[in-house]
Amino acid sequence: MPAETHVAQGPIGPDEVYRILRERLAEILEIDEDRIKLESSFTQDLDADSLALIELVEALEEELGERTVGLRIDAEDLGDLGTVQEAVDYVVARLGS
Amino acid sequence: MGTQRITVAVDAMGGDKAPGEIVRGALDAVSELGVDVLLVGQENAIEPLLPDGRRVPGVALEHAGEVVGMDEDPAAAARRKKDSSLVRCAQAVREGRAQAMVGAGNTGATMAAALLRMGRVRGISRPAIAVPIPVPAGTRHQLLIDGGSTVDCTPEWLAQFARMGREYARTRLAVDEPTVGLLSNGEEPGKGDELRKRTFSLLEKVPGFNGNVEGRDLMHGTVDVVVTDGFTGNIVLKTLEGALRAAVELVFGVLDSTPEAKEAGKVVAPLLLDAAAVFDPDLTGGAVLLGVDGVCVISHGSSSARAIVNAVRVAQECVETGVVGRLKESIDAG
Repeated sequence: MPAETHVAQGPIGPDEVYRILRERLAEILEIDEDRIKLESSFTQDLDADSLALIELVEALEEELGERTVGLRIDAEDLGDLGTVQEAVDYVVARLGS
Repeated sequence: MGTQRITVAVDAMGGDKAPGEIVRGALDAVSELGVDVLLVGQENAIEPLLPDGRRVPGVALEHAGEVVGMDEDPAAAARRKKDSSLVRCAQAVREGRAQAMVGAGNTGATMAAALLRMGRVRGISRPAIAVPIPVPAGTRHQLLIDGGSTVDCTPEWLAQFARMGREYARTRLAVDEPTVGLLSNGEEPGKGDELRKRTFSLLEKVPGFNGNVEGRDLMHGTVDVVVTDGFTGNIVLKTLEGALRAAVELVFGVLDSTPEAKEAGKVVAPLLLDAAAVFDPDLTGGAVLLGVDGVCVISHGSSSARAIVNAVRVAQECVETGVVGRLKESIDAG
């Protein structure tokens, strides 16, 4: 029996990750989703501090974890994620690993 | 139709005197307050402390395999240790198995766990700890917010703290129109660092704002709600604690200094001890974390069983008075 990965509703691509990330980040920061773009810097453009990023990661794990069992995002990696694009790439890579 | 009993999740492993004093306090709370308690922690540590194994009426036990230490990084601990007693308490509130939680462990981790599991109140960027400070001349309390939850603050966050503190004073302290002061190094509007100056202009739009207050206004009821950042607030609380202890030592030292003083002490000491009870942190009842979408009461690290009973009492009152719901309404209304 393979490890518990990629089980539920088909693979999740970058567009879907970006959509979910935008939605959740907008909720956390209480800003309009339109303000969040791939090139947006978490700190400089969106004023998202470390606690907001942790909230985001928890939210992503919760939502994506329902569709991909076992998704885990390491807290240590958060500091390296400067932009939304980097976060999307990171999550997609995690989903595929 | 009878009123449904409230269940309070208690982190049995949090605090310097855990689990012994915490469990004892939780058991006392069940018998004294008419609440149910969900004791969360390591079964093999808790069960021997229960008078009849885990079959105590009003007490349920939930096993948690991990413990968050006092010195652990708050956010990392709350994220990594999902099987900790602390995170499980917050999760129990989120899932509706408990209506409130009480913890005496790592304050920062408690804040992070509550924030991540319960979520934030919309319109509030950061939670803050509302700490009741006794005003000796009467029975009323003064609220200090933030007592240590959010160390680095923006002016906007401090303005949110003021609104939350005001609503909490209204609900829990029964003050109709609470007054608010910004803790600074002088009463004049221009006093303070950049954070204080910028906050002052935002607070002018908050109803009940009375301007700056100074450290000497604490414990004197000058205003009902004293607003400050978590860094300053925590230092203030520890300073008060230390100063009060020194004052007590001084007074009792004098009463023990000469034969005449000792005679006087026989009369005065009991009166002083009664009066000083108002300063006893175990009797204050714990501080409430405001801004999260659930009731979270934080008791001090060296909590005794009595402190836990009083913290559970605060949690119970917060649920019964609908503190979180009223806070949300107030924030929504602007």
